[in-house]
Order: sequence, then structure tokens, then C-alpha cells
Amino acid sequence: MKNIRNFSIIAHIDHGKSTLADRLIQICNMVSDRQFKDQILDNMDIERERGITIKSQTFCLPYKAKDGKEYILNLVDTPGHVDFSYEVARALDSCEGALLLIDASQGIEAQTLANLFLAMESDLEIIPVINKIDLPSADPEAVALQIEEDLGLDGELIQQCSAKTGEGVDNILEAIVRYLPEPEGDPQEPLQALIFDANYDSFRGTVISCRIVNGRVKAGDTIVFMSNQAEYRVEEVGIFRLTREPVKELQAGEIGYILAGVKTVSDTRAGDTITLKQNPCSIALPDFKPIQQVVFSSIYPISTDDYEDLTAALEKLKLNDASLTFQKDSSSALGFGFRCGFLGLLHLEVVQERLEREFDIPIILTVPSVVYHFYLQDGTMKKIDNPAYFPDPAGIDRTEEPFIKATIHMPERYMGSVMNLCMERRGENTNYHYPMPGRIEFTCELPLAEVIYDFYDKLKSITQGYGSFDYELQDYRPSDLVKLDILVNGERVDALSQLVHRANSRARGLHACERLKEEIPRQMFKIAIQGAIGGTIISRTTISALRKDVTAKCYGGDISRKRKLLEKQKAGKKRMKTVGNVDIPQKAFLAVLKSDQG
Amino acid sequence: MKPDLDPAERPGSIYIHIPFCQNKCAYCAFNSYPAHHFDINGYLAALEKEIDAMSAHLLIRQKKIFSLFIGGGTPTIYSGRQLGRLIRSCRKLYHFTDRPEISVETNPNQIDMKTLIGLKEAGVNRLSIGIQSFAAPLLKRLSRTHTVEDGLKAIKLARNAGFDNINLDLMYGLPGQNVEDWRQTLETALTTSPEHLAIYELMVEKNTAFANLAAANKLELPNEDTIVHMEKMTLQFLQSAGFIRYEIANYARPGYECEHNINYWTNGTYLGLGAGAVSCLNNMRITNVSDPDQYRLLITNDKPPFAGVECLCRDARFRETVIMGLRMTGGVDMTDIESRFNLTLSDYYGSILQNFIARNLLEISGDHLRLTERSLPVANQILSELV
Repeated sequence: MKNIRNFSIIAHIDHGKSTLADRLIQICNMVSDRQFKDQILDNMDIERERGITIKSQTFCLPYKAKDGKEYILNLVDTPGHVDFSYEVARALDSCEGALLLIDASQGIEAQTLANLFLAMESDLEIIPVINKIDLPSADPEAVALQIEEDLGLDGELIQQCSAKTGEGVDNILEAIVRYLPEPEGDPQEPLQALIFDANYDSFRGTVISCRIVNGRVKAGDTIVFMSNQAEYRVEEVGIFRLTREPVKELQAGEIGYILAGVKTVSDTRAGDTITLKQNPCSIALPDFKPIQQVVFSSIYPISTDDYEDLTAALEKLKLNDASLTFQKDSSSALGFGFRCGFLGLLHLEVVQERLEREFDIPIILTVPSVVYHFYLQDGTMKKIDNPAYFPDPAGIDRTEEPFIKATIHMPERYMGSVMNLCMERRGENTNYHYPMPGRIEFTCELPLAEVIYDFYDKLKSITQGYGSFDYELQDYRPSDLVKLDILVNGERVDALSQLVHRANSRARGLHACERLKEEIPRQMFKIAIQGAIGGTIISRTTISALRKDVTAKCYGGDISRKRKLLEKQKAGKKRMKTVGNVDIPQKAFLAVLKSDQG
Repeated sequence: MKPDLDPAERPGSIYIHIPFCQNKCAYCAFNSYPAHHFDINGYLAALEKEIDAMSAHLLIRQKKIFSLFIGGGTPTIYSGRQLGRLIRSCRKLYHFTDRPEISVETNPNQIDMKTLIGLKEAGVNRLSIGIQSFAAPLLKRLSRTHTVEDGLKAIKLARNAGFDNINLDLMYGLPGQNVEDWRQTLETALTTSPEHLAIYELMVEKNTAFANLAAANKLELPNEDTIVHMEKMTLQFLQSAGFIRYEIANYARPGYECEHNINYWTNGTYLGLGAGAVSCLNNMRITNVSDPDQYRLLITNDKPPFAGVECLCRDARFRETVIMGLRMTGGVDMTDIESRFNLTLSDYYGSILQNFIARNLLEISGDHLRLTERSLPVANQILSELV
């Protein structure tokens, strides 16, 4: 065990986490240059494009240190967004140390700090690494000073490198060996293995990524998941090289995978403890939380012909994404679809993009909702996450909505505008303190419904990217809800309905109408858009009729080009849903919630 | 699939492109370049060579040619003698019908009597003059290098030279133009008694000076209501003057419709010669390289000047023929199109077509399917469903 080091890399977005990971992998000779694809770790298209890691991956790097000994370095990659902070924390739990990566020209930023706190909560040893020292604007000395003074980390440990050129990366490997503690744990104890990730392999089923905390596990053992007592027979254990590499046994301190014929990823949960049936451990590892979907939205195919394909696609996504739930749903405007549960809004957007990109199915997402509690006069309570099931208002005794406790880290100067944002969103019980000079940790209790949409985007823009945000669900509190309907040319579009707080309903109705006016293209007739609560119209806008849309000239040399333009126009129409006579574009369905004020 | 979409007995046309102008206008997205940058005599020699080479092509040799159109750019950047030689080469090498339509485009300040006589002698019987506007400030705004007087004089010269089929290009929807300005331009145009008017709404095209102005928010165009008003006025005005609107942008006195252009809108056969010219032969659409120098070099080195070939399947060509045909107010000849493609419009489009007819956006008259008065201004809304 002395020769094992388990570590993560934590960083603010764009500070070069994936590039450094690639470089480490390359230096440890795991990948030939021909195999070397930039950013091996981020392998989903969306991850590459957005530059964020959604699914984490693990690599086991063999390394011969300058002391002449052979070491095994396990690099555990972490996802990088607030929706997945629970997953990040579990990944960090499986390590003893972390490289805190900081851009030599940018210095410490919001996520640097948030991630550092997470790592410290997991009790990790931190090695600060100043990256991008090759940039002309690099100022490693100033950043080093920040690390010592602002973060209070040991200046002796600071490493400098350029992940891009490879300069200084050797020293990082040495520092990992020298400064990070070897894993603890006793191979003789009963098995305790921490699940920190799971992926789906179409041939072998679920690949469970885990850290063996105590004990040992091998093929043929019967394992038990402590959260649900499910039993499986281990088919194979192994470690993560470029591909999976089977080993005879995994033991305390090691990071590896278990194949046990688990059919879907959702049967395994990050944070759960695996033990052996024969010799079970007495207690589970701490901090296990079952998955909780907090945002619900319905997904409909734009073309009803795609329903079967959408079903198949969701099932495939579900194999690899334990946090997605879905069940059948139907709408009079949109036909058959699915009601889906998500961890948060980024998760929702990722699923939407994957459906369109990987499965090529144009879809519509309805207005996202949280789960509301309706206490009815007959004494029953209904949990409702879909405006379609809004109970008869006459029968409602009282309603409750979920609240979260939001924690926001930011430089002091943004305090005023962040406070305003939270107040606009019905924030309560605000509190703040200074974890270090110039920085504020601000907490606020907010209705989840006010946060799910664009709160995070707004926060980022008003704090110029320096604000970091984390939240946990708190409790349900009394609310006063009404259902806001949208009528397009007199026809109610159920997919545009939303549940809103009564006090905000008029403003929301007006806002929804305005946004739809921006999003719905003009058509050959006038379109009236109305917001209504019950039978009362509370807002109204009109989209005037399109009077001109014709190509002025078209002769021999123009035919192909003009035809292609018309084909493009046609393709654009295909991505719209026709409700009544009106073509409504996909993005209009989500736009009604996006705020533009402030 | 039967490749013969266009019966051999259907005659075709020839287009020759002259990609040079005195200067580039602010709105122009055509394949044209300021002439002084180029070896324009070398270009003419290359054209002669392409005319010669293509005449040997099997598909062309079978064809009767009913129209020849020399467009640009400004073809009359060349002398009447030079253009005459080009036309005579064509007439010698290709099989023309008895009385072909032969058109040449020109600009008001790039035309003189000598050129006109030269063209006339070579058999040119239709002249198309790029007037664009009869309002001095607007001409300037468009960066046209001619004056209102130049325009009127050019028309007069053409008449004196004996041209009895003259088209004027006019534009509306120009920056700062109002309905009254436009009416005056139309009135002035009518005083010259043209046989044909091509009337274009200004389109701000990519990579033009106007596009840059628009991007910087410095191009104030009339609003949609004004444009619609201008169009209504145009139609009434020209109809009462005896013109027929036979295509979205084209008006003619009866019998003076441009045969050459109708061939494009019926998706017929044509041979395009010169830089950037497009040919449509059998199922193929061939585009020449657009750069005049590159074109000249390819031709002088005995290489084909093609930049690309597009080959559409029967269905796509059928749909294309429908959308092109609907640009004509007479519409698509359903019998003709069915015999050409062996596809029936009503079967092919089914409910889409029925729906448009029910909404009065398409109508059937005799054996023609056409846009309605209501749908003409928003034609793309309908065409984009049929494409």
C-alpha cells in the first residue's frame, strides 16, 4: 500500500485540468502518441465542447519515481458543476490528496475556492500547482503569494508547470509521491468499498468504480450494496489503464472496478458502500445520500413519429446516467412524451443535448418544475411536479414548495447585487461572513423554483464569473400557488403552463407573453398570445402577420443557392411544433421561464 | 429511373457571363469585378475557346438553341465588334432556332451608338439596361456611376439604333426611398415606353458594402409596410399601363416576356459559359469557377473550368421545378411537369397541397398550379414547404 497514491485534480473551469491529466497520462507512457487524443478524459462531445467534465473517469498510472521505487498513481477525475457536487464529493472521498490547479495569469477564482473547500471537507492533502507558466501574461510569483496568503496553503509545496508544453510536469509526479499520504485501511478487515462512479458497458453491464477502504474483493465473491441490500456475484475486478485491466484481487487502498452483472447503472449509487455477504462490515461509509431529482420537465418528440426512437434513446441514456428518471406523459398540444426528473438544470440541458446530438431526435422540453405539496380539503396531500395535474383550486387547503439553502462565495464587491438578486427571487434569512479578507460567504434560503432556471447564469454574470454557488435542499414551506396558462390564438398550450407564486403571477404572465413574442417567428397571420389564470386573462401580446417573404430575383445561376436557402427554411420549420396553426419553435418552450430583466 | 427528364426536342439556351464592371456597386453580390484589375482581352479569348470546346459536347449538339443571353457584370465593357464576334461564333457553332432571342445587358454609361450598331448587326434583338433608379440621390447611394440623364439617353440611343425590345432593371426598397420617390422612378421609366421591366426589391446580400453598413446599423431601409405599399402601387401602376406581371420580379407588355428567363423558371436545359456561369444539362448542374483569372488559366491550359457539379435525383429535381415554376404568376404547368417527371403534384404533396389550396395560398387554374395574390408577397413561406 505504501506505493499507492490516490489523487484528484481540482481547478476553476479552463485552468487546464484536462490538459494536465492528459500530460500525466502521456508521461507515464500509458498512451502512444498515435493514440493520444487531446483531452482523453473528456470523451463526450458535449464535455469537449463545453469544456466541462460530466462523467468522471479514472486512470491508474504506473510511475517509477526518482527514489527508484515503482508507484501506482490513481487519478480520479471529477465532474465540474454545482448540479453534480455530490458526485464530486464522493470522487474526492476516494482520494488522499488533490492537485489544486491555478492558472498563472488568472490566479485564484471562484471555483478554485469552492473546490478547495470540498477537498478540505474530504480531508485531502493539497498540492497547489500553478499552470500555464508558458503564457506571456503568466505571473507565477503573484499567484504563489495568493496561494500562501489567501488560501493559507504551504508555499513549499507549490509546483509550477505548463501542462501544454510539459514543462514541470515531472516535478508534479515527484511531489505526488513525496507529499501525498499513502492510503490507510486494513486488508484484513471486512470489505468496505466506496462507490464513486458507475459507467455502462454494453457487453459487461455496469462497471462500478470504487475505492477499497478496508478489506479485499475478488472474482467469485458475493457482494452486497449496503443501501438496498442487493446481492451480486463478482465476475471480474480490475484497474483502469487506458482500457480496463483485470487483476486477481483489489485490496484496501486501491482504486479499481468491479463487474458484477449489474444491469443498469441506476442500481448502483455513488456514495454507497459495497461489502461482502460472507463477512460483512458493521457500518456503511458515511455520507450516503439517495439520488433526489429536483427538477422535472416533460420531453416530447417534435415529430410524433419519433416517439419510439425517443423511448429507446432515453432507455440508453438511463443505462449510463443513474440520476435521470422518466415515465410516460402526454399533452394535448404535444402528444406522447415523458416526464423526466433531473438533478438540476445543467443536467437537464446535458440530457437535451445528448438526445439531439447522439440520437438525432429533435425534442421539446416543457417548462421545468419542482415538486410542490398540495394539501387538499379532504385531508390528503398530493405531490405535484407537473402543472397538468394542478388540483381544482377550490379543493386546495394549502400548498407548500421546496426551499434550498444556497451558499455563494464571492469577492466582497459583488455583495450588493447578489443580495438584490436573492431578494428578487423571494430569498429569506440571509446571512454572511468573511472566510478571508475581501471574500464573502453568503447564505440565503430560496424557493427552489426560483433557482432552477437561470439563477446560476445570472449569478455568474453579475459576479463576472467570480461567484460560486452551491445549494442543498432544506424543507417545504407554505406557498400560494396558481397555475399560469398560455393561450396561443385562443388555444391553451398545456406544455407552456407553469405553476407560479400568486404574488408573481401577473409579472410572470406578462413576461411569458413578451418572451414568446420574441421567440415565435412571424407567420402569415396575426397571432395573439395570452396569459391566463383560471378563466381570467392577465396578459396579452400580439405578433403581427408576416407580410413579406420572397426572394427578389432568381435566375439560372441562383437556382441551387436559392433552393438551399428554402431547404434551410424548411429544416427550421421542422424544428418547430405546430399548435393549432401556429409554428412554435423549440426554444420558446423553455424561454418563457428565462428572465431578461435585471 | 429514366434519366431523360427533358425531352431532346425541347430546345435550350446559352448564357455567357462577362464578370467585369467599371466599379463594384454597394449592393451587388454578383460575380463581377472592377475591370481594370483583369486581363479582359485574355478573358474574351478564353470565352471563345470555351464556346468552341463546349459545342462539341454530345448533349449540346443534339439541342436546338432558342436564346442567347450575354449578362454580367457589364458586357458592354467590350466593344460592339468584340461582342459581335462572340455572338457570331455561337451562331456558327451551335444549332439555333430560326428566330432566337438574343439579349445583352448593359449599363447607361457603358453604351454608345457604335456598340449598339455592332450588337444589332450581330443579331441582338433584346437589350437590358441597368437603370436601377431615376432619382439622382439614390443612384449615388447605390454607388452607380451614371446619372439620371445617362439613363434616359441610353434608352433613346437604343431606340435610335433600332432596338424594339428593351428591358429596364429598376430597384425599390432603397435606403431613404419613399413611396413617392418610387412612383416617380416608375413614371419616368414609362415615359420611355419599355417593353419589359425587371423590378427588384433591394436585398442586402452577404459580402457587399451594404451588408457592412447594415451590420454597423448604418443602413436605413424602408420598413415592411412601406415595401408592401410600394409593391401594391407598382402592380396597379404597371397593370394600368398595360404590363403583365408574369414573374415575381418581371413585368412585360404582352408578347415580350423574356424567353431566356422563362427557361430558368421551367428548369429547362441551358449552357452557361464564362466565369461562374452555371449550366443545366440533363440531370446535371455544372458551375464554372467564379474567379476570371482562374477561369482563363484553366481554359488556356485545356482544362475544364468546372468548380462543381450537382446531380439531383428525380424527386429533388421535380420539387425544384415546382418551386421555380411557382415564381411565375401563371404557375406550374401540371401536365408538362407530370410528363417530364412521371410524378403527379397532388399525389406527391398530398395534404400539404390541399391545405395550401384550402387556405387560398395556392390555386389551380386550368392545368396550372400557381401562387395567389395573397401568397405572392410571402412566397417563400409556401415554397419552403414544397422544396
